[in-house]
Amino acid sequence: MTHDVIRHLLGDYVTGELPEDARAPVADHIAACAICAAEVESLKSILARAADLPRSIDPPAEAWANIRAAIERDEKAVGAQRVRSSAGFWRRPYVLAAAAVVLVLLSSGGTAMYMRARAGDGDPSRSASMNPGAATPASLAAFTIEENNYLRNVAVLQDLLDQQESLLAPETVAQLKASLRTIDEAILEARNALARDPANKMLIEMLSGTYRQKVDLLRRTAEMTRGS
Amino acid sequence: MKTSAVVSDSIGPNPSTMGEEKAAALDSIRRAQSGDVDAFELLYREYAGRVYALCLRLKAGDTSDATELMQDVFIKAWRRLETFRGECAFSSWLHRLAVNTMLENARGDNRRIARVLPMDDTSRLAGAARSSGIDLKMDMEDAIASLPKGARLAFVLHDVEGYQHQEIAEQLSVSVGTVKAQLHRARRLLRERLER
Repeated sequence: MTHDVIRHLLGDYVTGELPEDARAPVADHIAACAICAAEVESLKSILARAADLPRSIDPPAEAWANIRAAIERDEKAVGAQRVRSSAGFWRRPYVLAAAAVVLVLLSSGGTAMYMRARAGDGDPSRSASMNPGAATPASLAAFTIEENNYLRNVAVLQDLLDQQESLLAPETVAQLKASLRTIDEAILEARNALARDPANKMLIEMLSGTYRQKVDLLRRTAEMTRGS
Repeated sequence: MKTSAVVSDSIGPNPSTMGEEKAAALDSIRRAQSGDVDAFELLYREYAGRVYALCLRLKAGDTSDATELMQDVFIKAWRRLETFRGECAFSSWLHRLAVNTMLENARGDNRRIARVLPMDDTSRLAGAARSSGIDLKMDMEDAIASLPKGARLAFVLHDVEGYQHQEIAEQLSVSVGTVKAQLHRARRLLRERLER
C-alpha cells in the first residue's frame, strides 16, 4: 500500500475498525513514516479529547415545563378528538335513525301490539316487506328488490298523510317532518355508504331497518289521522 | 459499539439492550407507556442531560435550537412511547429519535440544513456549559461546532457518541463511504483548528 492510501486508513487504524489483515501493513508503514506516525498521534489526541467531553449537560430548567405543557395540550386535544368523534358518531343521521328505531321499539310496545292486531285488515299499504320484524335481505340484490317495495309503500303512505295533514296538530306535523328529515338523511347516508361498500351486510341491515322505520312512522301517523 | 482501544471505554455510551437498563427506568417506562406523565418526568430527569448534550453538539452549540430540539425529542418520545418495545436501550432509542428529529426538522427548513457556524461564532456551547457548571474542553466544543454540518454529524455520532459507520449511514441515509469521508474530513479540520 502506498503512503496516500495508508493515510486514509489511519482513522480506522486508531479506532480499531481496520480489518485485521490490513493492520500489519499499516503498522509497518507507521513505524517507518514520520508523517503518518505524527498523524496517528494527532488522531489519538483528537479522539481522546472527544472521549473526554461531558456525556451529560443540564438542559435549561424550563424545558420540562414546556414539554409537560405540550404533553397536556396533546392529551386534551386527543380527549377532545375522542369526544368529537363520539359526538360525531351520534350525530350521523343513520346512527340517529338507528337510535330512533331502538327508542321507538322500546317505547311503543303497545303501539306495536296495536299494529300487529290491525295487520291484515285490508290496508293496501301493508306487505311482508314492511313488517318491522321481516328478515333483512342477505345481499344487495335482494335488498334492491325490497327497497323498491319500501319506496312504493312510502309513496302511498306519504300521499295519504299529505291529504290528512290538516287533521293533525301543527306541532305533531312539525315533529313528524323533522323525524322524516332525519330518517331521509340517514337513508341517503347509508345508501351512499352502501354504494361504496356493496357487500357490507351491516349497512344493508341498517338501511333496511331505516326504511322499515320510515314506513312504520308514516303508517302510525296515518293511524293517528284515522283515529282523530 | 466499536472496539477502539483509544475510545471504547469512554465512548461506547449507551447500554446496548433493554436488559442493561436500570430497573427503575424500566418501571418508569412501563408506567409512562400507560399514560403516567409523572413517570415520564422521571425518565426525562434520567436521560435529559445526555440528550441535551447530543442536541447541543448536533446544533453546533446553539442553546436555543438545542433546547427546542430536545423538547421536540421528548414530546415525540411521549407520543411514540408505546412503540418502544425494548429491542434496544431506552437511551439508544432516545438518541436515535434525537438524530431523526433533527434531520426531519432540517428537511423542513433548508436554511437550517445550509447553516454552518463560522469559527468566530461558536461560543454558545461554552456559555451553555458554563451555565450548567461543567468544565468543558471549550476549545474542543468550539472546534466541533465550527465543523461543516455533515462532518460535524459524522464526528459527533461516531467519535463522541460511539455509533458505528453502518449505523450512522442508515440514520443519515447515506453510504458508509460518505460517512467515512465526512469523518476523515472532520478529524482533519479539527486537527488543523486545534493545533494552530
